[in-house]
This record gives sequence, C-alpha cells and structure tokens, in this order.
Amino acid sequence: MEFHKITCKDVMNHICDNLGEDLDSPKCREIKNHLEECDCCRTYRSSIDSTIKLYKEYNVEVNDDIHKRLMEFIENNTKP
Amino acid sequence: MEEKELIEKAQSGNRQALSELIKNYEQTVYNFSFKICRNKERAENTMQETFLSMVKSLNQFSGNSKLSTWLYTVVSNHCLMLARSQKKYEYTPIEDDDALIDEKDVTDWSVSPERVAENNELKALLDDAISHLEPEYRVVFLLRDVEGLSTEETADIVKLSVPAVKSRLHRARAFLRNELNKSLKYGIS
Repeated sequence: MEFHKITCKDVMNHICDNLGEDLDSPKCREIKNHLEECDCCRTYRSSIDSTIKLYKEYNVEVNDDIHKRLMEFIENNTKP
Repeated sequence: MEEKELIEKAQSGNRQALSELIKNYEQTVYNFSFKICRNKERAENTMQETFLSMVKSLNQFSGNSKLSTWLYTVVSNHCLMLARSQKKYEYTPIEDDDALIDEKDVTDWSVSPERVAENNELKALLDDAISHLEPEYRVVFLLRDVEGLSTEETADIVKLSVPAVKSRLHRARAFLRNELNKSLKYGIS
C-alpha cells in the first residue's frame, strides 16, 4: 500500500494526537522516520513535551493551616 | 492499612480511618483543584466541598471503582460548574483545528520545566495560558497529561467517548503550546 508523502503538519498533528503512545502502523513508522530527519518537527515535539512537563511541575502544597481548616469544615458540617 | 480496609472502617463510623483517607488524598485533590481553578482560595473551597461530599456519600461507595477516580470526578464537576457560573472569564474558542498548528511558528524554548517552582514569571505565564483554555478542554488535558490517567479513565470521568477525549486532548495540547510559544519563544529570565 502506498501512502502520500507526509508533511510536517501531518507529523505535528500526529504528535498532538498520539504523544506517549507507542503505535506501530506503517504511517507511525513513517512519522518516526520523518522525526529523525526533521529539526522543525523534533522542536515541535519537544515544545509539546515541555508544555506538559511545565504544568506537571507547577504544584501547590497543603500546609498545616489548610489541613486544619479542612478537618474543621468536615467536622462542622457532619455533626449529627 | 489498605485503602479497601480504610473505606470499610470509615463506612462503619471509624473517624480515625476517615481522617486517614482524607489525609491520603488531600494533596492530590487540592493540587488538582488548583490546576483547574488557578486560584488557591477556590481550590481550597473545592477541596472542602469534595471531601464533604465524599464523607456524606461514603456509604454508597461500592468499591467497584477507585476512590481517586471518584474524587477526580467530583472535583471536575465542581470546577466546571463554577466556571460556567463565572462568565466574566473570556476563553479563546477552539474552532479551527487546522489553524491550531502552524508549522512556520516553531521555536526552540530554552526554558527548563524544573524551574517552575522558583520562577513566578513562568508561573504567571502558565496561569495566563491555561486561563484562556475552555474549562472542558482544560479538565481533559489535566486528567490525561498532567495527572497521568488513561484515556479511558478520563473519558469515564468527563462522561465523553474515548474519541471525543482524544480530540479535546489534541486541541488542548496544541492550544497551550501555542499560547506558551507566544512568550517563551523570546526566552524568559
């Protein structure tokens, strides 16, 4: 079966669709080959990866005051 | 103590088991609430309402699904309801799939994700970018990509089909990347 030559836009769409999934269709193999040769698509993939990592790294902590207010809230709202 | 045992004890009125359950999940629930709301006060309110809801309906929890999935569902629904009631926020509609990816606007960012914790400028950029993303897309991105749930679990929580989740995820990833690209392509201090 013959595929039309994929474009950078096809590859970028594929990255957004299937990031992190290990697919093994002929089209996926063609995309992997393209990624090895195309700086622009590798950069795009890297920026999508970074976007996800940035949001993963941005966290907030429950401190003692927040925990205390939570337990008081539960206590006050579940009294018989 | 295993979670199943904790739930059973809490269901039979053991307050210590209930406190332990809450302690085990408060960080996850608060963090996830914050990531949707982008506001600490709203995140705390959401966390409180979520655990109150858990306490009140714990006896109906059968254990067929994970407690974490149930908590993610309550937080998602609460935040989506809140977002719909606050129409002052302006989201950028995602209508044109084709326009989301511009192969001419690809830049190598020099920012390192590990720097988020110490960089308030970067935090502000992240808050601003995701605040423009419609909440329905935001929830899918956060559940699947940030919290690491499977596509099927995400679909179950947001009551969408797997293809619909994949479509929203595609658009959310491209949208957020574009929003960040506007600032990060010029570098950050």
